[in-house]
Amino acid sequence: MALVITNLTKQYNKHKTGLADYSITINKGILGLLGPNGAGKSTLMKIIATISKPTQGTVFLDGEDIVANPGRIRKVLGYLPQDFGVYPNLNAYEFLTYIAALKGLGGNDLRKRIDMLLEGVNLTADAKRPIGTYSGGMKQRIGIAQALLNDPKILIFDEPTVGLDPEERVRFRQLVSDLADDCIIILSSHIVSDIETIADEVAIMQNGRLLAKAIQPDIIKSVEGRVFETLIDSSHLPDFKTKHLVIDTNRQKDKTRVRYITTTPLAGSTALTATLEDAYLFLTHSNA
Amino acid sequence: MKYIYSIIKADYLQRTRSYVFLITMAITIYAAYSFVPPPSAHYTTLNIVGFKGVYNSAWVGHLSAMMTTVMLSLYGFFLVTGGIKKDVDTEVGLIIATTPISNFGYLLSKMLSNFLVLLTIAGTTFVVSLAMFFLRSSGYPFVISNFIVPFLLLALPALLFISAIAVVGEVFLGKRAILQYIGFVFLFGAIMGHTKGETNDTIAVVTDPFGLRTMTMSIQNQVNNEFHTHVDGVSMGFTFHKKDNAFRTFTWNGITWTPVFMFSRLLWIILAFSLVYISSFFFHRFDFKQIAHKKKKATQYADNIPVITPAITAISMAALPAIIKNYSIVPLIKTELMLLIRKGSKWLWLLNAGLCVSMLFAPLNISHTYLLPVLWFLQVTRLSELATKEKTNRLHYFTWSSYKPLQRMLPAQILAGVTLMVTLALPLIIRYLLVLNGFAIVNILLGAVFIVLLAVCMGIVSGGKKLYEIVFFLITYLVTQKLPLVDYLGAIAHNSQILYTVLILNIALCCISFWARNYQARHL
Repeated sequence: MALVITNLTKQYNKHKTGLADYSITINKGILGLLGPNGAGKSTLMKIIATISKPTQGTVFLDGEDIVANPGRIRKVLGYLPQDFGVYPNLNAYEFLTYIAALKGLGGNDLRKRIDMLLEGVNLTADAKRPIGTYSGGMKQRIGIAQALLNDPKILIFDEPTVGLDPEERVRFRQLVSDLADDCIIILSSHIVSDIETIADEVAIMQNGRLLAKAIQPDIIKSVEGRVFETLIDSSHLPDFKTKHLVIDTNRQKDKTRVRYITTTPLAGSTALTATLEDAYLFLTHSNA
Repeated sequence: MKYIYSIIKADYLQRTRSYVFLITMAITIYAAYSFVPPPSAHYTTLNIVGFKGVYNSAWVGHLSAMMTTVMLSLYGFFLVTGGIKKDVDTEVGLIIATTPISNFGYLLSKMLSNFLVLLTIAGTTFVVSLAMFFLRSSGYPFVISNFIVPFLLLALPALLFISAIAVVGEVFLGKRAILQYIGFVFLFGAIMGHTKGETNDTIAVVTDPFGLRTMTMSIQNQVNNEFHTHVDGVSMGFTFHKKDNAFRTFTWNGITWTPVFMFSRLLWIILAFSLVYISSFFFHRFDFKQIAHKKKKATQYADNIPVITPAITAISMAALPAIIKNYSIVPLIKTELMLLIRKGSKWLWLLNAGLCVSMLFAPLNISHTYLLPVLWFLQVTRLSELATKEKTNRLHYFTWSSYKPLQRMLPAQILAGVTLMVTLALPLIIRYLLVLNGFAIVNILLGAVFIVLLAVCMGIVSGGKKLYEIVFFLITYLVTQKLPLVDYLGAIAHNSQILYTVLILNIALCCISFWARNYQARHL
């Protein structure tokens, strides 16, 4: 199974471009999408989910054009949008039954499937309460359950860990990893660690363009040998920032420990092992 | 003061930068065009049996101002109500609540932004009335004061009062929109009835927020004096006449504004501000007791459930039962019906039930002309969100990316709406069945489809509920006034032409709805 995206452009209006001549091929496994706000991640996901039409370009799923024939992907799609909502007057059972009907699912075992999914996202005890009374994390879990209802082969998760507490995030990552053997999973997040721990491949986007797409070690290679740490006077920090790409700072009394990327490190700096976050920030800043 | 100005400005811009407002403006321009019919027209908007004023400045200016005042007061309420609710829904209210603005300051700004919205529409009708006077040039001199003064004295105080009533309704009835609508309709009806029925002229003038009595009395007195006749009432509203009906014309030169009248206008302005001031003592300032109640309820639930780890456990997709495809829309219709039924207060179903029972026993024509339109209108908040609730609840990502949403989801919504409306009309349908009146039944069924399709179409096109709520209210009001033009449910005895008209309208609404939704669902 492969999703082939070629020369995709989404022009919202004269001044706003969602995607610009974007091409990518996505195979089975987890693709992590990284990019600053406005990079085009959600636009790309909406086009793949067939709720937004590209201005130009094609999206093929196993050789079939899903822009022209959206029904093809919709049958195997699980989609968790970034800012989805629910009908507050329905309870979890009713809501999932409704979504199942939308996805064209039925049969005697549907109830059992819903039960098991609710159990999986730990909402069985609250399943008969109106969803309007749920917390943000519980709503997010209902969103995850609905995405899995139809045994999807393509899963799109747009900022899925928003609202989840740390333990839930760990569990969610585990769940996604388990699903990856049999599906294409596209996952976007602002939290680089979420992507870092589970993504097989990473795509970094900016201003509607693809900056890099590769397995994590290859992306990290771009900053290897350039990441350093040093201790400077806090008063020098603003000046330091103008000369180097600062990744992280840690204030210690009147000194600040700085993690930075450079080709000309300060004397006394310690070389550090590069991470995906370093590579992401390096790529997005050097292409800004 | 700067807070108030900022809120008024933001609120005004927010409301006027919407398709609903644009569509309302377009309808207003058409309405304003029809408010003062040309001398050759076969309808009047001010009914003085057998008489009609000549098309001079006074007649056009006053009549236009009067029609604007009454019609805009009637549907303007529906347009402007909901300003506070918007702040609740968007949670902007929580930010406002933490600012130094007083309750009165906030409510005052809401009233004034309501007023500005209505004023914009009134201003448009004013311009249209001027244009009409020149376009339909009848040779009478143009007197600008005959246009400006009636707008200032009739429309402005009335619209300010309506703006205040909208705020007060929201303060006391909160999110219960349908109760606000019912309350307003009763208030409006009571005011109109009192204005017409009061025998003491001074009391009638003072207690008339729309200033109608002064104008109708002036016209009535002139007709009686000039033609030595005994016209005992001048009524407002669109009245159609047969083509061969001849009118006797009279030259009316406007109203003499008496001190009592001026005092009454001032009184209504003061009353508007006072009502808002009083209601500020009861304003929730976005701190809801209901929320506390809900939380309490949620805690009660929580008490009853065992302590669990609030996290995701392992899901084995392989262990889940195999999926079976079923593309039937019946489950979707069921859920849509469930959502329609659960919407709004439960006690409103008692009112619905009461009206259903009344339709069984009231005279057939009363049931068809008054009870059924009112019963259907009581469902306005249900129908208005039929095709908008996915977007309002941000569920459209799921519905529009589902399998064939246009062929399954939209028909399910329409069918659910029609099922509800037909079910409510069943008592009347059964009675018509018993008297073998198939024509009336077909009319009712087509009417049910029409009012649902109108909700769907207006919801999809405007993206909101307001437009439909205003239009449905106006249609209901005009049906109960027996205006044949809007008789979508065949309540008034006439030929089968209306039936075909509704049928064609249904097809048109259906086509527009499907086309627009198809576009929306692929252009998020």
